[in-house]
Amino acid sequence: MTTFLIRRLIQMVLVTIVAAVISYGLLYVQPGGPIDVLLAERQNSGANRINEADIQRVMQRFELDLAVPVRFSRWLIGWPKGPIFGSVGADWVVGCATPGQVRLRYPDGRVEIVEEGCEKTVTLADLEGRKVSGGVVFGDFGESQVMLRGRPVTDLIWSRLPYTLYLMGGSTLLAILLAVPLGVYSAVKQYSRFDYIVTTIAFIGTSVPSFVFGIFFILLFSVLAQRAGLPYLPPGDAVGVRDYTIPLIGMVEAGSFLDRFLRVLMPCGVLTIISLAGWSRFVRGSMLEVLQQDYVRTARAKGVREQVVILKHALRNSLIPFVTLLAGVLVTIFSGALITEAVFNWPGIGRLFVDALSRNDYNVAMAILFINVILLLLGYLITDVLYTIVDPRIRLS
Amino acid sequence: MSMFSKRSIAKFMTLGLLTPVLAACGGAPAAAPIKETVVVIQTTAPEVQTVVVEATADPAQPVVGEAFSTPHPILSDAKVRQAIAYCTNRPELIASVYPWLSEEDQAALVMDTNLPKGHWAAATDGITTYAFDPAQGAALLDEAGWTLPEGAQVRENADGAPLSLSFTTTNAQFRQTWSAVFIQQMAACGIQIIPTYAPGSWWFGSSTGLARRDFELGAYAWVGETDPKGSTLYACNQIPLPSNNWEGQNYMGWCNETASNAIVAANNTLDTDERIKQYGIFQQEFTKDMVSLPLFNRSEAAAATNRLSNFKPDPTEYQTGNVEEWAVSDGDTVVIGLTQEPASMWTLIESSAVQRVAGYLTGNNGGQGWAFTSYSYDYQAKALTELPTLENGGAVNSEVEVTAGDKVWNTAGEAVELAPGVEIVNAAGETVTYESGSVTMKQLAVTFTYKDGIKWEDGESLKSADFELGNKIDCDPASGSVSLSICESRQGVEFTSDTSYTVTYLPGVQWPEYMIYTLSAYPSHQVLADGRKLADVPASEWQNLPEITEDPLSIGPYILESWEKGQSMTFVANPNFYGGEPKVKKIVIKFIADTQQAVAQLLTGEVDVLGTETLGAGAEVETVLKAAEAGEVQGFTIASPTWEHIDMNLFVK
Repeated sequence: MTTFLIRRLIQMVLVTIVAAVISYGLLYVQPGGPIDVLLAERQNSGANRINEADIQRVMQRFELDLAVPVRFSRWLIGWPKGPIFGSVGADWVVGCATPGQVRLRYPDGRVEIVEEGCEKTVTLADLEGRKVSGGVVFGDFGESQVMLRGRPVTDLIWSRLPYTLYLMGGSTLLAILLAVPLGVYSAVKQYSRFDYIVTTIAFIGTSVPSFVFGIFFILLFSVLAQRAGLPYLPPGDAVGVRDYTIPLIGMVEAGSFLDRFLRVLMPCGVLTIISLAGWSRFVRGSMLEVLQQDYVRTARAKGVREQVVILKHALRNSLIPFVTLLAGVLVTIFSGALITEAVFNWPGIGRLFVDALSRNDYNVAMAILFINVILLLLGYLITDVLYTIVDPRIRLS
Repeated sequence: MSMFSKRSIAKFMTLGLLTPVLAACGGAPAAAPIKETVVVIQTTAPEVQTVVVEATADPAQPVVGEAFSTPHPILSDAKVRQAIAYCTNRPELIASVYPWLSEEDQAALVMDTNLPKGHWAAATDGITTYAFDPAQGAALLDEAGWTLPEGAQVRENADGAPLSLSFTTTNAQFRQTWSAVFIQQMAACGIQIIPTYAPGSWWFGSSTGLARRDFELGAYAWVGETDPKGSTLYACNQIPLPSNNWEGQNYMGWCNETASNAIVAANNTLDTDERIKQYGIFQQEFTKDMVSLPLFNRSEAAAATNRLSNFKPDPTEYQTGNVEEWAVSDGDTVVIGLTQEPASMWTLIESSAVQRVAGYLTGNNGGQGWAFTSYSYDYQAKALTELPTLENGGAVNSEVEVTAGDKVWNTAGEAVELAPGVEIVNAAGETVTYESGSVTMKQLAVTFTYKDGIKWEDGESLKSADFELGNKIDCDPASGSVSLSICESRQGVEFTSDTSYTVTYLPGVQWPEYMIYTLSAYPSHQVLADGRKLADVPASEWQNLPEITEDPLSIGPYILESWEKGQSMTFVANPNFYGGEPKVKKIVIKFIADTQQAVAQLLTGEVDVLGTETLGAGAEVETVLKAAEAGEVQGFTIASPTWEHIDMNLFVK
């Protein structure tokens, strides 16, 4: 077990670094970015036009003037901060502040100016005095570059995490508690009316996108219900900003437990339905497979009670594949639901991630991606360990 | 046994097939170009030129430069371009995207020139208008040699070449919708349009699409402003070419000397009447040559609860521009929905619309929305006693003698010491290269005077030290300021009282919007949580100061009480506001990323105000306007400053 864990931990470190390299690279190769935003401002912009010095300042703020490996290293481990040991490599070139330009005169007379080389380089000595994080591997995710400019990324994540845990934890727990019995019952009563209903609902749940569910719920339980004078649910947010009155319930105080409870119902309901649909189908399929095994038939032949056959002989074995499915739960609970959070204006990590990507806040986006990778790997590790518990035939060694 | 095996024959045949392909791909090695290093220079301002109005040049004539010097076989003919304009039924395009607007509102969106109707510089006299007239369009095409053969759908010229043009725009649904109608309109005139709906990242990319003039007909939008500017878009020296590293935004390749001189002159004079005259000349040429077909202003909507009065949405001012005038008939709180959260309350480093909406509540660091407003494409004094202008004596544009060694503003828009070789604009408006002796230049001095009784939220009066601190911090590159052009163009600031100062610019500086370039004001007396005085904190630390970025001392109508990150900001009325404590006692700004959610919150009464920044022009607008018709909320539609147009590329690569 110990050997297994050590081996897996080493593998996890390697996978984390590879995943970090890839996601970091992908984030920076995507079109757009702060310089494009800046150049767009240059359009027809008169006195506040952007000049080369302005571009250099913005590039420096986002570290875009450093070579990607150097930038990555500073993000990952907070190094290099300047010349090594204070003086070595002070003049080593680590980036380019102003790209060089070359005018090409073709023999046919055409003239073209292209970027080539570097007009003004950035050396290790230039890095001295620049802000740098302590490195994400040491738990320092740096500062937000746009959304909460100049303040720690962790501040942003901590401000959103409770809401995501509250929403995702609730819906995941609810989905598991409902999916397993529904899937089992559906399998045991295969081709019954109940099975058909559950299967149909599951198909709808898996095929309808969450935002459609979300909008439908808001329309039905919020807008139309309120217009009809019926009790209604607030359409969004995690907490209200002023008191409101709901028919039959009365005055709801903003920020009260009731206010928060009413607001979580719809997003939690949507997420539960979506998870429930897929998971109940999965448990049903797995259970059906197990129910056809010889040992189940043998148990029945021996006269074991049907309830014992299902719960003791079949259920435990059918849950083995389900455990693998749960590996992703850890990361889901942390990272939130991108679409659902946006539709219900839930101030969670999912919405934060979408905002960070759309506003080029690389440090925030990378922090969430990095944490997701670690949680996913941890999830797989836990799954492997859980395997040995649900299936005694499996040994970690 | 044959001489060649089947395998050998197959190899020869493969080689035979591949050889021409390889030859086509590679071909003969191209002759190596000669490389010359280019000195990277500061991005230059539009070149200042002598104002000499000359006869209209033929826009189809090749511009300087080898690439893009071949006139477009179809679009270089003005008759074809004008025919396209006559064949375009703009009201029909508008109706396709804004079916919920009344005919009257739709008609108000039609653009005839590059400036929206009602703009102070929009010309009405002498411009060529192109009301929908397919018969006139067909006649022009016939005249240009593009005739419609019997039974054919597409016109042809004498050589049998079809009148076919590519049309590029973004893949946004909005543009695809009106483009589909445009294509049908062109087909009715015998013009075949081949559309390309490209991703915005390509069409607006810094080295693709529009920036590389990779189009024949190209549709996109410009955003109109109070000051029309325009020289970077239409002047002859702003045509992007490979030989100038694609600098400039005159993507059509249009060089009309009269128009170019007029637009440059309009941007380089401070006399309002002269500016109106020059913009008028420009618009006459612009509409006559028809190199860019103005289509329509976009429509934007805003909505407010019926409880709110004095809500005033405007195309060029943010919704909270008059927040101190708002009043509610029931309750004391107004909730505003915004799609984004401001990154910072510090105006200097955050320029987003959401920051301005929130910043106006606390005085926006003494800037726009507090010192002055910009309603209806014009400026109005607010905390200023009046806008200083040359006409009212608040600004003086005197003539000064400069000699070698004096600091001046050159034509490239840089503060430099006058020395031989420096290019400047003299007092007569001529661009001259300094050699020796003295030169007479224009020097601008502007005096800003604020109303009496202005106080910070803690009761401390506004004083000259606050403006001095504003000047010091805003002009320090370490503060994080994006552009320092205005700072660099100042020669000095002289304070005549706590609420009056004169900004003197370097000789050669002629900012057309000089009347709004006020100094920021920061509370120099404020003591920070760590015991330091704000005035003693270096600029490099300001963007991390909570007292600046998260809870600035207010000089505006409201005080920021709390900020729940990711959720809302709560403001309470400022009893020390110079205009008196506002009637609405509390304003909450909620961050609602999704517009549909925002509309749901408006309809259920969770939110009271959705400005144009939030509601925009999406499909949700129709829902809101229907609710407004039913009397549930107040709905407003305004002509957005953003206007759609179709550029016509006069040259081929």
